[in-house]
Amino acid sequence: MLARLKANRSAIIAEGRALLALVIIVVFFASMSSRFLDTTNLVIMTRHVAFNAILALGMLLVILNGGIDLSVGSTVGLSGMVAGYLLKGWEIPGTHQVAYPSVWVVILVGCLVGMLVGVVNGILVAKLNVAPFIATLGMMYAVRGLAELVGNGQTFTQLFGQKALGNTGFVSTLHDNVLGLPFPIWVMIVLTVLCSLYLTRTPFGRWLYASGSNERAAALSGVPVKRVQVRIYVLAGLCAGIVGLLLTADLSAAVPEGGSGYELNAIAAVVIGGAALSGGRGTVRGTIIGAFVIGFLVDGLVLIGVSVFWQEVIKGAVIIVAVVVDQAQQRLQKRRTAKQVSGPGSSPAAPAARSESTVMTRA
Amino acid sequence: MFKKHLAWAVLPVAAVALAACGSSSDSKSDSGSGSAKNAANKTMAIITVDPSNPYWKAEVDTAQAEAKKLGYKTTVNAHNNDQTKQSNFIDAAISAKVSAIILDPAGAKESIGAVQKATSAGIPVFLVNAEIDQQGIAKSQIVSNNSQGATLGAQEWVKAMGGKGDYVELFGQPTDNNAKVRSDAYHGVIDQYPDLHLLQKETANWDRQQGKQKMEIMLQAHPNITGVIAGNDEMALGAIQALKDANKLSQVKVLGFDGNNDAAAAVANGEMVATALQPIVQGSTMAVDQADQYLKTGKTGANAEKQAINCVLITKDNAAKLHDFVVAQ
Repeated sequence: MLARLKANRSAIIAEGRALLALVIIVVFFASMSSRFLDTTNLVIMTRHVAFNAILALGMLLVILNGGIDLSVGSTVGLSGMVAGYLLKGWEIPGTHQVAYPSVWVVILVGCLVGMLVGVVNGILVAKLNVAPFIATLGMMYAVRGLAELVGNGQTFTQLFGQKALGNTGFVSTLHDNVLGLPFPIWVMIVLTVLCSLYLTRTPFGRWLYASGSNERAAALSGVPVKRVQVRIYVLAGLCAGIVGLLLTADLSAAVPEGGSGYELNAIAAVVIGGAALSGGRGTVRGTIIGAFVIGFLVDGLVLIGVSVFWQEVIKGAVIIVAVVVDQAQQRLQKRRTAKQVSGPGSSPAAPAARSESTVMTRA
Repeated sequence: MFKKHLAWAVLPVAAVALAACGSSSDSKSDSGSGSAKNAANKTMAIITVDPSNPYWKAEVDTAQAEAKKLGYKTTVNAHNNDQTKQSNFIDAAISAKVSAIILDPAGAKESIGAVQKATSAGIPVFLVNAEIDQQGIAKSQIVSNNSQGATLGAQEWVKAMGGKGDYVELFGQPTDNNAKVRSDAYHGVIDQYPDLHLLQKETANWDRQQGKQKMEIMLQAHPNITGVIAGNDEMALGAIQALKDANKLSQVKVLGFDGNNDAAAAVANGEMVATALQPIVQGSTMAVDQADQYLKTGKTGANAEKQAINCVLITKDNAAKLHDFVVAQ
């Protein structure tokens, strides 16, 4: 019971650190620019954060498993391009007829495209034993190429649809305000809640944390580790597919290079949020805070007019500092827990594993 | 069991994808019906920057079509402004013993070595769209006059602004020489008007999404701007989208550059003040024609190695005639 309390405290500290970074950023920019805390500005910045946060939720699942998904940025591009293509009309092969799927079909297909990329990633990693970094690196190139092939390198614009064809509403549904907030923000909120419940209230969540901490041990205790692996890549792909649709509506254009580089921002958000790239440790709340740290930092620097080269330097420095502090704290934590739970025959690894399993219940 | 099957199902899909790639490159290298018999079976290697951008796609498509018309086979590669990739493609072209290389170089200083390598191997190189900092290696260097185009665009934009107001600038990829050339030419015109104030300059790396997001935040910092100048059309179109979302497009004059189809539409319906059309179709055609001339006669037929083609100002008057980088006569 005592150990559990301590572990809870460590989880609070890990998130608290990311939260502290966020508070510092908000206070700093608010003092530099009176516009920063303006409601309109906060809503715009949060909308920018939402794209990265949704990707980061998918990335968190993969990273909890000790994997990585570099293909999500390209998947964003592919799902957007497929949606753009369908909205402009799909010429049924072999006939000269053009089908105009209704908007909900387009949205569904966009999500399915993302999940399909995830299925391939999952099979490569779980069944063919390709290292996640390599498998998803390859998919990053392949999927980007597919995104360019969809429109033969062209951008799809004017995606408003036509009343006569019954395919209007893509842009307005996925972009306009709902109850005072832009739609992407609502998607972020809903997915955050779902993801949090999924990790803390279902067996799958426990399997994921267990297999991420120690895959062999998890497999021996009956966790279907391969199935878990495939599923997380599918979910990461789904998140990327959703972001592709939202970005396409946001720009009311589908660009083949859309989402390039987004995978790195997503990884950064997860890491700033206190997750370990080695797997088994990380929370939804931390990840969301991490996404806000990056998003508010980037937009804040533009708002106060810092030179673009310094923007990059500062963003990099914040990521590094976050991880360095995290590592130092981890070491301290491990030493402390090892001391406290030391008893006959207990290795230092055992208490660490236990503290992680309690972190998970608080995600 | 099902998953096992799924894994195997991926293989034929991959095979079909490969076959599709193969067939498309076959069709690319289709030689013409022998309009020039001595050119039969000869190949031109076309190396471009990034065909996912409509501008470079037009460059490649034009060069391919012209080479095919003259009876050449073609190969196409894209270096994405990466000098190492460029160097590898040049090596591949040398070992394939192509007749000529049409190159859109990755950097003015960085590409000198690559061009020299091909020239030393006896393969003539014809540069299009961008130049290198040395003469006497490539046979032709055909560039659009970025400075002249940006000057024309800036003059039109100043007129629309009425010579006064606050504005922001979206700058291209900082490592790309053209970003600076265009920006300098813009300011060469605009800075003569003391009532035009530049409030902020941000880079959006030629990208539409980045252009939109940067513009949204700049609008928060400077809600009363009346003008935007952008180094290319994609960034300008992103800015226009941001202005539309903020209901401010009617008060803000936007300037683009490149003359792609989306920009032509935006100029035609009054969302964009003007853009400068880079005559890439003309330049690409000239490069291939000169390569063909050189292979047949040993001379390019042009007066000088460096040839600058003037840009065409696109305004509401001629925007409707602009399609795929060509203004209809």
